[in-house]
Amino acid sequence: MASLADRVGEGRHLERDLADYTSNVLHLFVEALERRQEVQVLDVGPVCGENISFLAHRVRRLSVCDLFIRMDRDHRKGVPLSWTWQHLDYPPRSFDGILLWDLADHLDDCEVRRLVELCRTMVRPSGMVTVFVLGEHVLSHVVNSFVIGDGFRLHLRPQPHLDLSLHVRQNREVLSLLTPFTPVRSFIYRNGLREFLFQLD
Amino acid sequence: MNESQQKTSFYEMVKGVSMLGRSKGVKKADETAVSPVSREEQTVIGEHISIKGGIKGKEDLVINGSVNGTIKLGGCHLTVGPTGQVEGEIHADNVTISGRVSGNIKALDKVEITKEADFNGEVKAKRISVEDGAYLKAVIELEKDAEKKAVPADKLADQAAPGPGKEPLTLISETDKRK
Repeated sequence: MASLADRVGEGRHLERDLADYTSNVLHLFVEALERRQEVQVLDVGPVCGENISFLAHRVRRLSVCDLFIRMDRDHRKGVPLSWTWQHLDYPPRSFDGILLWDLADHLDDCEVRRLVELCRTMVRPSGMVTVFVLGEHVLSHVVNSFVIGDGFRLHLRPQPHLDLSLHVRQNREVLSLLTPFTPVRSFIYRNGLREFLFQLD
Repeated sequence: MNESQQKTSFYEMVKGVSMLGRSKGVKKADETAVSPVSREEQTVIGEHISIKGGIKGKEDLVINGSVNGTIKLGGCHLTVGPTGQVEGEIHADNVTISGRVSGNIKALDKVEITKEADFNGEVKAKRISVEDGAYLKAVIELEKDAEKKAVPADKLADQAAPGPGKEPLTLISETDKRK
């Protein structure tokens, strides 16, 4: 894995490459939630104050379980990744929406399937799941949070304290891993970033 | 003696033997960074103190030790310092967490969670701020102000940003709608 200094440097490059952009999937996700009652959402992190404020003002209950930092700490302790999923101990059908951000980029296929299966049980019928995938030319070992700004603009903020592995996937691979869900929309941006919005039937 | 009287008397006893530090008008530089309120009077539970039982009070409290029980501070600010640990419910006007807290927080105004914090529980407050790096598993409910309802997404988008698929500069293509 890359050193902290390397990750900070990469983070600066990545920030320049991606700058900020308007997230269509986030817009659609929030629009869908606003049509529902007593909305409950799960954000899997990385923890970000701006996102918590943005989401908490729009939903009834916002659950935040930072899986990025849990994976990082568990890895440093030598705890197997499977242990991390015990943190997602929410009852079935708890959430109207789950923001996975780019968590899948840091998991192998087997663990992505476990995560997706957990999401399938936690999401209510017609609930939404967002998945973000970084483009190949902006991939780096630095972990970023997608910080929500005004008008659904997102910018990436490096989280150099997190050191996670990276897995590159094509669109078809992403769709294949998310098969329990129906893809609603997906977008590819000039910066190479891909956004997917899935729904549970 | 009922349970709450026992807890109160225990707290009084602890204070009586000077296990708690008390300061008046003391303002340390690092405290001002995490506190949204001025502190004229505050009690400090030291790093090597542990309390089992509830705490009630009407002055600011800083916990650098450990507390296992409900904390109720009417109109005041609770700070759990980086070495502090709390297991139990917290009721206060403002709460700042830099240590380890397991339990629910009900704040009349603001909850601040710093990057050193390890928090597991529910937060009910008017406002919340969370620093990157905080170890967090939380359910957050913000009090909805009737006059300051969140702007609906469609209106917000109309005002500030183009809608889906309407941003020619960044969006290259839209794909993969399988069904």
